[in-house]
Amino acid sequence: MIVAGRRIQLEARLVTPKWLAFVVPVLSIVVALVIGAVFLLATGHAPLRAYADLLDNGYTSFYGITDTLGLATPLICTGLAAAFAFRMNLYNIGEEGQLYLGMIGSAWAGIALAGALPKVVAIPVVLVAGACSGALWVAVPAFLRARLGTSEIVSTLLLNYVALNLVNYFIFGSRGFFRDPTTSFPQGRTVEPSVRLGALSFFTDKRTNTYPTLFIAILLAAALYWLIKRSNYGYETAVFADSPSTARYAGMNAMWLQSSVLLVSGAIAGVGGAMYVIGPAGKVDPGLLQIGMGYAGIVVAALARYNFLAVILTAILFGGLRVGGAALQASSDPVPIAIAVVLQGSVLLLALGGEIFRRNRLRVVKVSVS
Amino acid sequence: MGVTVAALEARGVTKRFPGVVANDHVSFDVRRGEVHTLLGENGAGKSTLASILCGLYRPDEGSLWRNGGELRLSSPRAGLANGIAMVHQHFRLVDRFTVAENVVLGRRNLPFVLSAARLEDEVRAVADEFGLPLDPRAIVGELSAGERQRVEIVKALYQGADVLLLDEPTALLAPPEVEKLFVTVRAMVAAGKSIVFVSHKLAEVVDISDRITVMRGGKVTGSVARGEADVRRLAELMVGREIHLDRRRARRDVGDVLLSVSQLHLERDGVEVLHDVNFDVRAGEIVGIAGVAGNGQRDIAEVVAGILVPSDGGVTVCGHPTTGSGARGTRRAGLSYVPEDRLGTGLAPSLSIVDNLVLTRDRGFIVDRDTARSDALRYIDELEIKTPGPDTPTRKLSGGNAQKVLLARELVAMSGARVLVVSSPTRGLDVGAVEAVHELLDTARAEGRAILLISEDLEEVLTLADRVLVLYRGRIVHDSPGVDDDVEAIGRAMAGLVA
Amino acid sequence: MNANAWLLTFSDAISIATTLILASLGAILTERSGVINLGVEGMLLMGAVSGFLVANSTGNLWLALFVAVLVGVVLATVHAALTVSLRSNQIVSGLAMVIFGTGLANFLGKPVEGRPRPVVILDVDFGPLSDIPFIGPVVFGHDVFTYLTWVIAAILSFYLHRTRPGLVLRATGDAPATVDAQGASVTRIRYAHTIAGGALMCFAGAWFMFARGVAWNQAATTNGIGWIALALVVFASWRPLRAIIGAVLFGFSLQVPFTLQSQQIRILPPEIVAMFPYVVTLAVLVALSTPRARRLLGAPKMLGQPFVRDER
Repeated sequence: MIVAGRRIQLEARLVTPKWLAFVVPVLSIVVALVIGAVFLLATGHAPLRAYADLLDNGYTSFYGITDTLGLATPLICTGLAAAFAFRMNLYNIGEEGQLYLGMIGSAWAGIALAGALPKVVAIPVVLVAGACSGALWVAVPAFLRARLGTSEIVSTLLLNYVALNLVNYFIFGSRGFFRDPTTSFPQGRTVEPSVRLGALSFFTDKRTNTYPTLFIAILLAAALYWLIKRSNYGYETAVFADSPSTARYAGMNAMWLQSSVLLVSGAIAGVGGAMYVIGPAGKVDPGLLQIGMGYAGIVVAALARYNFLAVILTAILFGGLRVGGAALQASSDPVPIAIAVVLQGSVLLLALGGEIFRRNRLRVVKVSVS
Repeated sequence: MGVTVAALEARGVTKRFPGVVANDHVSFDVRRGEVHTLLGENGAGKSTLASILCGLYRPDEGSLWRNGGELRLSSPRAGLANGIAMVHQHFRLVDRFTVAENVVLGRRNLPFVLSAARLEDEVRAVADEFGLPLDPRAIVGELSAGERQRVEIVKALYQGADVLLLDEPTALLAPPEVEKLFVTVRAMVAAGKSIVFVSHKLAEVVDISDRITVMRGGKVTGSVARGEADVRRLAELMVGREIHLDRRRARRDVGDVLLSVSQLHLERDGVEVLHDVNFDVRAGEIVGIAGVAGNGQRDIAEVVAGILVPSDGGVTVCGHPTTGSGARGTRRAGLSYVPEDRLGTGLAPSLSIVDNLVLTRDRGFIVDRDTARSDALRYIDELEIKTPGPDTPTRKLSGGNAQKVLLARELVAMSGARVLVVSSPTRGLDVGAVEAVHELLDTARAEGRAILLISEDLEEVLTLADRVLVLYRGRIVHDSPGVDDDVEAIGRAMAGLVA
Repeated sequence: MNANAWLLTFSDAISIATTLILASLGAILTERSGVINLGVEGMLLMGAVSGFLVANSTGNLWLALFVAVLVGVVLATVHAALTVSLRSNQIVSGLAMVIFGTGLANFLGKPVEGRPRPVVILDVDFGPLSDIPFIGPVVFGHDVFTYLTWVIAAILSFYLHRTRPGLVLRATGDAPATVDAQGASVTRIRYAHTIAGGALMCFAGAWFMFARGVAWNQAATTNGIGWIALALVVFASWRPLRAIIGAVLFGFSLQVPFTLQSQQIRILPPEIVAMFPYVVTLAVLVALSTPRARRLLGAPKMLGQPFVRDER
């Protein structure tokens, strides 16, 4: 690009300063806040006050933090699911649907168990049921990709809408297994108490929205981190993601690696759905459909640059945005909750753009007229 | 013989790249109605010269002349405007398009609305004028290599080229297609075009060329006209060099056969890329496969290493047949492979040295990085690998140091590997690194390993190998046992002249 | 079963198809240059909301449509800057655009949520022609923009396959290095067609709002049509005229649930029927993935790859 007699070009850096890894995400957030402020001003709201409210309701007040942590719990899962797949250039956009299927599958297990197992066994069973359901939902796109080379992008996406309608069917369209038999009001049947976990109270007498499943999510992140760092499977996926030709040279099986990564990704998203059932919902809950947890997971993963531990942080960050945003909508000067989504999208776009500056440097060179 | 003005001429052209003088005061010309071949190995400078002649590169010194007037070319488009076109070895065609669409794509003054029928007629006219059988409506993606080349040639002619530079034109062609190409060339020459062949395949070009100019090491070493051509002399000019008699040779007796390749055939996309390859490598010997790049080197290496499955024939490592066992199975039988592409294939560039060391080991469920780390530290010390540390991503290492890591892994570490396949181990390395690598290979041989050395650097092969094979168009065309290598014969074989 | 109802369904399908055709034409232009823009869903919504807001305050349909197109230009420019100039991952950028666009549309539309559309695009009055049995409602029962869309598709088809710039465009998606070697600017071509594509996508959203939407309600507005449009591009093998056929097919599958409901036909529960369009789309995608189909009808070869010229 040539501007006013000077060529502006990107030049690869020799050394990547460590501080850039932090600066780019942080700067993205700051600029996103500025952009959000512009939209807020344009629609007649006071940005600073709005942001102050957002901060308080999302992060610094007691209920704020606990709500945020509660929302972050399944978000960590979808974030992990996205990170796991995306780092291999496998674009699983179906976390949303896999999440719903996890909810359905774990609710099924929770209801079907009928209290037959003690809690310490039942809960893992329900989690596994959620994982299997999520993996099942991505199995078809994974198979199509392996066998026919169908792009997983649109196939996983379309299944999201199918899953959405499936949940609606189970609650609104039928009076079957998943419906609460005690009332004619359409809602899900509650699972047995033996597969529920009570909310954490953090040594107070207040009822929060944070559940012990949060720790399971954090453990899951740590486990995946360990898996990638230490195990052979993690090693092979790292090699393949870096250089498929090196993987071929080393005799690794590309098809197996790619298919399995997709299945694991779906399973993790499914676990998120299971956590929703074990914790706040206790049943198949159409309310989950409104949040967009699956798509948010992609943003969370991208901002964390697909690092599993960083996903925990970005999930909490975005969870706080949503919680704060909801509070803003309900406040005296209501700001649409969508501002949180705007901020999410902006942060991602900016982080994407900023990514190029990690690897490259801007150079301005005088161009002589030749 | 009066003074004929050259259609295109380079005078005293010099071109430098970092670390190498690709063209050193080179003069070359081609006349109307003539085929002038630029002969030489890879790295001789002939491709660079051709690139300068067509406008792709600009010379650092010297000048270009066309029909008596000086010429300054700023880009290939400028070259085309002056009637000079290069047909590259790797075709630049759009597979999805028809022949006609590909041919007209580069034309600047195409009308806004295209009439397919009109264009097809135009293309057909040009093709027929030079006797090139082409169906303008065929889809390029479905054509053979020879037909695609014809499309590239018609493309150049359609855009008004009088001077055509053909870069390794026979490289991707089967022998019958080579014949058809020469028919085309004769037709073009008869019509007054000037053709420059850039090639290393002396055997093929000797009959079609009116003149042959040989390049080596960036300089012109000789030039002959048709009739004067003494092929032996030409091969010598192309490949001959003062061999340092400091040859490393096996001092001890060679042992059993550890690697055996028999009747190897490999087909790809319907074209045979390896044909009836047979050879053995014994313990304590280095067998070198010489040849100009692009004659099947990578294919042989990958078939032997188990990465590719041959269409026919078999590979046996330490007595175990490994055909079809895959890369891991072949490795377990006792073979390790150092590929020529260091950073894109042999190593994972973003991963650390430690992580790369375990790439070709048997890893359990958990990767043992502790042993790898202490190994890494040891190699860094012993082989003097210059790196900030064992956790440095390998893409940050210089070529020589990356190669040391690779060799450390495949040579030193794999003590169970009795057979070693090494491809172009010293390409792009400085003198010191080359020394170090040769030292390692020599030591490995002394330890009784069987080494297959595949290299485009003839000097390297002659220095190290106990036996020399020459690979040409996927076949072994020369196999000289013993110590007395007939360099001449090897050179001829590399150029395709088989006695 | 009421034959008339099915006829109306078909007519409705053609109408819905307009959004699909416009959006997928935009995607075809973009993808033919080698850039993949997944942000269609967000662009549709942004086009709808910006058109709505402008019409709401000015009452002027043409201004509303114009602004919607402008919004498309801006958003697409962002995407192009990220993917072509900065060489970011095109998939993630497109997804970010969906999220950003959806969120922003929601945000801006909140004050007018539930408000009925201020202007309506009416069907063209063909007089007695629309009373012809069968053909009448199907062919003559649409608004001017639907007819315009078919014309646009025809024009783009001509552009792509019968003009010089169209030839160069097609080459850019398959072999940008070749186009670059001829001296044309791959960057400029990609920017131009990504932006044009974005304009079409936002226009599609605005049209939908005024022609088919009842009131501004983000959730009910597009409901995945953007993603179906992307699948439609594959179905159409990146050819504009084929997009029309596929769009009618998909439009039909989108409309069927409503018809079944209005006709009180309950073979299957409505939610299951609602899955229909997505399952159909998926099935079509699978059928088109066979190696033979891909060889003949495949995507631009370098779709999704940033173009970097080897420096000499």
